[in-house]
Amino acid sequence: MSSIEALYLTFLTTGFVVGFGHCIGMCGPIVVSFSLNLKTKRAMVPNLFYHVGRITTYAVLGGIMGATGAFTRITTGIGGLQKGAMIFAGLIIIIMGLGMSGWVPLGQIFGDYGRPDGIIARSFRKLSGIQSSAAFLPLGLVLGLLPCGPVYTALIAAAGLGMENQNTFKAVLSGMGLMTMFGIGTIPSLLMVARLSGMGWLKSRNIIYKIGSILMIGVGIYFLIKGLRF
Amino acid sequence: MKFRSRDTCLLKGLWIGMLFFFTMIPTTTVDATDHSKMINCNVHHGTCTQKLRDTDITLDISPKPVKAMTDLKFTINLTGKQGVSEPFIDLGMPGMKMGPNRVFLKSNEKGVYSGTGTIVRCPSGKRIWKATVTLPDMGSVEFIFDVIY
Repeated sequence: MSSIEALYLTFLTTGFVVGFGHCIGMCGPIVVSFSLNLKTKRAMVPNLFYHVGRITTYAVLGGIMGATGAFTRITTGIGGLQKGAMIFAGLIIIIMGLGMSGWVPLGQIFGDYGRPDGIIARSFRKLSGIQSSAAFLPLGLVLGLLPCGPVYTALIAAAGLGMENQNTFKAVLSGMGLMTMFGIGTIPSLLMVARLSGMGWLKSRNIIYKIGSILMIGVGIYFLIKGLRF
Repeated sequence: MKFRSRDTCLLKGLWIGMLFFFTMIPTTTVDATDHSKMINCNVHHGTCTQKLRDTDITLDISPKPVKAMTDLKFTINLTGKQGVSEPFIDLGMPGMKMGPNRVFLKSNEKGVYSGTGTIVRCPSGKRIWKATVTLPDMGSVEFIFDVIY
């Protein structure tokens, strides 16, 4: 096994291990929100789309790290984007929670009383009622930018590959490969959470929906505050 | 509320509990454990020394104050008995898996090794980090300190 293959395997394992600790904490509430928000019982496909989007972003970042070999410079550059992604995640969870609870007539506020075709009304309807699987791909692309310690660590390794490799093209591919393997490693834990929260019988119980809404709103506020402080 | 059997009821209860647990992890894990009591090194104001058998290991991190997400120079000074292989440093957080982040050190002069690395920022807000210095032939010691985000 070559050193690069060993590194891929290391970060695949790392992704798997941190997935059941760190990622469940950071991305768990997001996939729970998505799964609860989906009215259909098939939550797996949308979740897979979300992960494909997330891993695509990781791979792009890995490619950039490989090409430049400069971790701190790039992460400083994308700091604003990461802050935005965290705030966006908080907002989307809050909106999904509010939409799911039905306590606040946001649909009416943003739709009937205001301008139904306005950008806020359309955005709200899209965010609070996302049902199309493909819609989860761009969500994953954006939320792949969420600041995360283990992702940073993997990006340091990708930048290290860039510094070691003289061939820029190979360095880009190596960085992308490493981040892809890391991202794939994180999938099982998050799919498990999605499967758990997407159970049909769970969704059929109104009380669970209501409590879930409160939790989602709370977690959304937490993300929002963390994002503003980041 | 009717359930088909007691086992199904238990299973559903377990699932609901796990769901709430997963949802609430980010809010409950923050500062759940006070790792600040584990701090044994003030990297912002100088060097830190620990003993490993017959060797004194002194760690210095610069520039100071030590900030996350910046390029940092790690210097190890060994006095006393020394092994043949070059030492290395693994950076991590107490009680939280962050993935492998190793700083490889090169010898500058006898007993002095240095290398560059980065301490990443944890969005949870936790600032306690540890640098595990390993002397391959002898063992390892942990320096636990706080960093600035």
